[in-house]
Amino acid sequence: MKPAAQDPLAQLTEIRAIMERSSRFISLSGLSGVGAGVVALAGTAIGHAYLQQEYGEQGYLRLFGTSAGERLAALPFLLGLAVAMIVAALLVAAFFTLRRTRRDGLRSMWTAPARRLALALALPLVAGGLFCLKLFVSGAPELVVPGLLVFYGLALLNGSKYTLDEIKYLGLTLVALGLVGLLLPSYGLLLFGAGFGLGHIGYGLLMYNRYERASSTNFTAP
Amino acid sequence: MKYAIHTLNKAFDHRVRLGVMAVLLANESVSFNDLKESLDLTDGNLASHVAALEKAGYVLVSKQFIGKKPNTTYNATAEGKLAFQEHLAALEKLLRG
Repeated sequence: MKPAAQDPLAQLTEIRAIMERSSRFISLSGLSGVGAGVVALAGTAIGHAYLQQEYGEQGYLRLFGTSAGERLAALPFLLGLAVAMIVAALLVAAFFTLRRTRRDGLRSMWTAPARRLALALALPLVAGGLFCLKLFVSGAPELVVPGLLVFYGLALLNGSKYTLDEIKYLGLTLVALGLVGLLLPSYGLLLFGAGFGLGHIGYGLLMYNRYERASSTNFTAP
Repeated sequence: MKYAIHTLNKAFDHRVRLGVMAVLLANESVSFNDLKESLDLTDGNLASHVAALEKAGYVLVSKQFIGKKPNTTYNATAEGKLAFQEHLAALEKLLRG
């Protein structure tokens, strides 16, 4: 039987590491954030192009004044675009996170804390998605972008219990941008790109520099 | 110094047991497989140490079936939480000398 490490400092350090690892999902790669941000920027550009093609130069702004019938005609494309963005972002996130868990020598990335994080994010996101769908259909399309930002930000705050703490600041930033969007509805598309695009990219780069770059250079060093 | 070493709990005198208690304090209720995964252990190794902790009254074992699959979950008892916290405090005291 292997006794516990005699050195109390080593014991305490190991206990702390185990408690951290078993309750938080710390393998989420920063590059996942960068990838999700790039997907969001591309999606924003596609959405903008589509709205300009449907409603002319004013695109997004014209959407506010449309009749219910006109909006419903645009719904399948916009919903499809949203679903495609979510799927693409999740695939990119899974790719980089899987790569990181492999490099860290972990067996699986779908651990108990990962499942808890996914659930903590999914509940507010599904509620927010349905809420915003109703806003769009019922004639308040200008509230959809602020609503998505606020709900997504709150989902991140909720998930921050189960992953590295810094994600809280991304969540707060998105909530703030969403509230700005309530005051400046005409800037919706810009805020969407800034929040989901630049926000994710900034957060991802910060996390990558803070937690991953050092370990990856170790791996390539001769 | 000798006195301080006596305050360390014998039931935690193994890294697997320390690990099990650490996971159970950080998480409310943990399944056998999740526990095995977070500590990177084999079935037999984990089972024997958890049995020792159960005997000491520090861990509560609940066995259920999900369909036909047995599902065992573990919780730290109030006594176990207290004992582990005292153990940690004793370790810290040793460090401070």
